Amino acid sequence: MLGAGLILFLAALQGVTELFPVSSLGHAVVVPRLIGLNFNESSPAFVPVLALLHLGTAGALLFLYRRDWVRIIRGFFRAAVRGRIEDPDQRLAMLLVVGTVPAGIIGFLLQDPLKSLFGDPRAASVFLIVNGAILFAAEMFRRRDERRRAQGDTGVLAHEEDDPAYAGIDGLSLRTAVIVGVFQAGALIPGISRSGITMAAGLVAGLRHEEAARFAFLLATPIILAAGLLEVPTLGSDASTLGVGIAAAALAGLLAYASARFLLRYLRLGRLDPFAYYCAALGAAGLVFIH
Amino acid sequence: MRGSRPLMLAFLILAVVFAAATIFYFTQKTNFLASGRPAVHWKHALVFLALMVLSLVAANFARPKSLRA
Repeated sequence: MLGAGLILFLAALQGVTELFPVSSLGHAVVVPRLIGLNFNESSPAFVPVLALLHLGTAGALLFLYRRDWVRIIRGFFRAAVRGRIEDPDQRLAMLLVVGTVPAGIIGFLLQDPLKSLFGDPRAASVFLIVNGAILFAAEMFRRRDERRRAQGDTGVLAHEEDDPAYAGIDGLSLRTAVIVGVFQAGALIPGISRSGITMAAGLVAGLRHEEAARFAFLLATPIILAAGLLEVPTLGSDASTLGVGIAAAALAGLLAYASARFLLRYLRLGRLDPFAYYCAALGAAGLVFIH
Repeated sequence: MRGSRPLMLAFLILAVVFAAATIFYFTQKTNFLASGRPAVHWKHALVFLALMVLSLVAANFARPKSLRA
């Protein structure tokens, strides 16, 4: 049986790291081992708790973008019935569908094999470093593009807010959404961040930083929600954990909401570099200290 | 998406395949594309059900203009 303290700690970890581009799965594998917690994320006792944490995080995202989701769902049904896209909401709905399907299929088929293959903390540490490299590479690509446009030096951390040279989500093509969706499947590997790889792909595709994060969060919502809902039947298996699990879900949701708001505000001017350095440092720490 | 009859038919066939898979996983005990012992895998059934719906949506998008209402 999982202790209440451990569950709440994991909820806090999940809440903060799910939406930051730092890999919540990587943290769940590496951090407990780094601080001396003996914990197996794959243990059957944790599955109901994990489902609740996912529901908490998904709830936070749904609340954050509640008005968007009403328009997106309405837009999906209108476009689906008419067989054509007639407005931006319908277009966004279809972008999210084509972005979600590849990751959903790959995730459903390969989640367990990938977790068992790469669930080792040292492997996750390596992939955290890879995650950092992905974020850094995306920012390098963006900086090079900004320099080319401005024909001058750009600041290390700051970029122009609402830079007209870069697009909102409306500027994404369906093909790009599919590619981003396929890359999202990389997050099945502990250490690779779903939001990180999606934001990186968004930057390379020409989105503004804040819009890349917004697309990443919208794209993540159906998958995180599905991950939670599909495990709902397991919630009744351990009544003693259910109460703590619900509290943990609320904690994860609150922290996810706060971290999403922070990230969106930060990315108006900030870049992904600090997260890249953090992932590299955590990965290196895992390789050095975990045996 | 431009209308294309072959594409529409391809999506419809895909929808039929997914519908069959949905029924299969809801009604049969199996471990095909699933881990563990043979059992009714309702999660797989739900996933194929979602794919069936999306295939029908895609078929509707692929419908040629002359067939649109």
